[in-house]
Amino acid sequence: MIKIDVFSGFLGAGKTTLIKKLIQEAYAGEKVVLIENEFGEIGIDGGFLQDAGVNVTEMNSGCICCSLVGDFSKALRQVAETFSPQRIIIEPSGVGKLSDVIKAVQNAGVENACLNAACTVVDAAKCKMYMKNFGEFFNDQVTNAGCIVLSHTGKISQEKLSAAVELLKEKNASANFVTADWDTLDGKAILAAMEKKDSLQAELDRLAAEAHEHHHEHHHGHHEHEECHDPNCSCHEHHGHHEHGCEHVHGTHEHHHEHHGHEECHDPNCSCHEHHGHHEHHHHADEVFTSWGAETTRVFTKEELALALQEIQNADAYGTVLRAKGIVAGEGKWLHFDYVPGEPDVREGCAGVTGRLCVIGCGLNEDALKELFKV
Amino acid sequence: MRQKLPAQTPVYLFLGFLESGKTKFIQETLEDPRFSSGEKTLLLVMEEGEEEYESIRFAEAENVSLAVIDDKALLTEAYLTQLQTECGAERVVVEYNGMWLLEDFFNAMPEGWMINQMMTFFDSATFLNYNANMRQLVFDKIQSTQLVVFNRFDDEEKKMEFHKVVRGITRQCDIVYEHSDGKADFDDIEDPLPYDINAPVITVEDRDYAFFYRDLTENLEAYLGKTVKFKGIVATDKRLEPTDIVVGRHVMTCCADDIQYCGLACVLPAVMELKTRDWISVTAKVELLKHRIYKGKGPVLVAEKVIVCEPPEEQLATFY
Repeated sequence: MIKIDVFSGFLGAGKTTLIKKLIQEAYAGEKVVLIENEFGEIGIDGGFLQDAGVNVTEMNSGCICCSLVGDFSKALRQVAETFSPQRIIIEPSGVGKLSDVIKAVQNAGVENACLNAACTVVDAAKCKMYMKNFGEFFNDQVTNAGCIVLSHTGKISQEKLSAAVELLKEKNASANFVTADWDTLDGKAILAAMEKKDSLQAELDRLAAEAHEHHHEHHHGHHEHEECHDPNCSCHEHHGHHEHGCEHVHGTHEHHHEHHGHEECHDPNCSCHEHHGHHEHHHHADEVFTSWGAETTRVFTKEELALALQEIQNADAYGTVLRAKGIVAGEGKWLHFDYVPGEPDVREGCAGVTGRLCVIGCGLNEDALKELFKV
Repeated sequence: MRQKLPAQTPVYLFLGFLESGKTKFIQETLEDPRFSSGEKTLLLVMEEGEEEYESIRFAEAENVSLAVIDDKALLTEAYLTQLQTECGAERVVVEYNGMWLLEDFFNAMPEGWMINQMMTFFDSATFLNYNANMRQLVFDKIQSTQLVVFNRFDDEEKKMEFHKVVRGITRQCDIVYEHSDGKADFDDIEDPLPYDINAPVITVEDRDYAFFYRDLTENLEAYLGKTVKFKGIVATDKRLEPTDIVVGRHVMTCCADDIQYCGLACVLPAVMELKTRDWISVTAKVELLKHRIYKGKGPVLVAEKVIVCEPPEEQLATFY
């Protein structure tokens, strides 16, 4: 299976920097080919790519007056035949439409290939201005992305960052967002977000399943490595975690898979082997549990989080909370919290792709929870 | 409020991408009392970046009406006329959207509007990257401008590169490099032609045809009566005299999509067996004559010697 990852985004957004980071930190050991349709000022230098074992194919239809769809399909087929790679990275022109590239990938007819991730890099500082003045191609890049990775987030105020995220969510509510400063993140965490293996929904499903098991006191053997099941945590191996996730689903909820068996990979926003998809969530929705989750760029203090987790025990106000978990930006270090009734735990930890709060319980009062966490 | 519109409305057109310094420049111009002497001005803003207008500081704020056009669909003659009529503008200042092609504005220009001044701005930090990836838009904004301003220009070593990009598009405009500290210098780099225009026979190498063709059409006077020698592709037409052909090359200015056959009328010394797409080496005197293919006067190559030849290694002519 050849995985195809597309990195769209306007000129200067930071596509090249992100690709470079992922080649170093997330794609290591894979046979990767890079298709470049942009002439970057900060090009990835040949030596670096050679060291990383990455082949590069350049396409020179870099301006918007050239039709690129045909070319992309051709380049993809050539690359697949010549190199038989495990992964193809596409960096399309910054002024091109992501939907065109997605179409080209789908129409290329490369055997055994699958659009694994379609992400768009957006300069958080310029998002509003670009959206207003660029119109079509910029909005196309935003609306068709499975994951939106914001760049330069460390250089702007939190207000500006959350305003940018709001604007982007208006155009694409279903995308996964990476809002953390890249320097604080491991490339694997970004890749997991791009592939939607790490999303708020996935996290909620996982937590609900855990709460469910806990409830029935069915502790399975594979929960032994519980301490590293946090998908936001960049300090552990991504695939290790993923295997855990798969095993978990296979072991306890095998029947959920029947929805997926015959489905083709035609949705650009859907990573092709989604184990934590929405179908599973529907299942959990039938249970007595409800879940509430939120993504936020808000910066919390350790004290206010601890206070909120004390407060959350008030069942009259918030409903009965069985489990709460999250990872949010702190002042400096990120904060991880974990809550089971009577045992709130807040600690400093590694950065997540974006701030996330997950709460599982019965009769949850969502408005009150939003109020409690000020999100 | 409504009044008769002037027969001619001068238009000041400011071009460039977001963050190139257009707004700041227009703001400063409108603050300058020397620019205003009671005329009603329509300020058309077609791009809204980080900088915003402070109309309160304009020299004659009461005479300036600001209108925002944030949708290209509104760029119509009817709408522009309506905006002018509403404020009775005697002149128009336009901050144009960098992602729109200039012809969209020209097509929408009401009758009576005439371009008085056209200036193009670039942020030096992004210029080369934008040029590499949005060549058509950069080309479009430089092609017919009178002045190119490179703002925040602090890397003296980049000067030649910037110069070459502009001069590859036009030799007509001035170029200014404006440094972050406010100091500015004019581009006085001379561009010698790649051939000797004063030689008894001006010999154009295969790779230089694009420069030759452009310079000849821009500075025809300098070539009249002179003898040139170059390789080109023949185009024939049954409707022309048997000794009349066109000789030229395919020239690429921006990218593969804009390749054009750029040819000149040529009168052969005698009838020859030439077919369209034949390559010839031609030695000819340049004269300004009436010719059918120009529907009037134009540069005609009065050939002295024509030899059929092999095509050059690179058949496409470019401004390399």
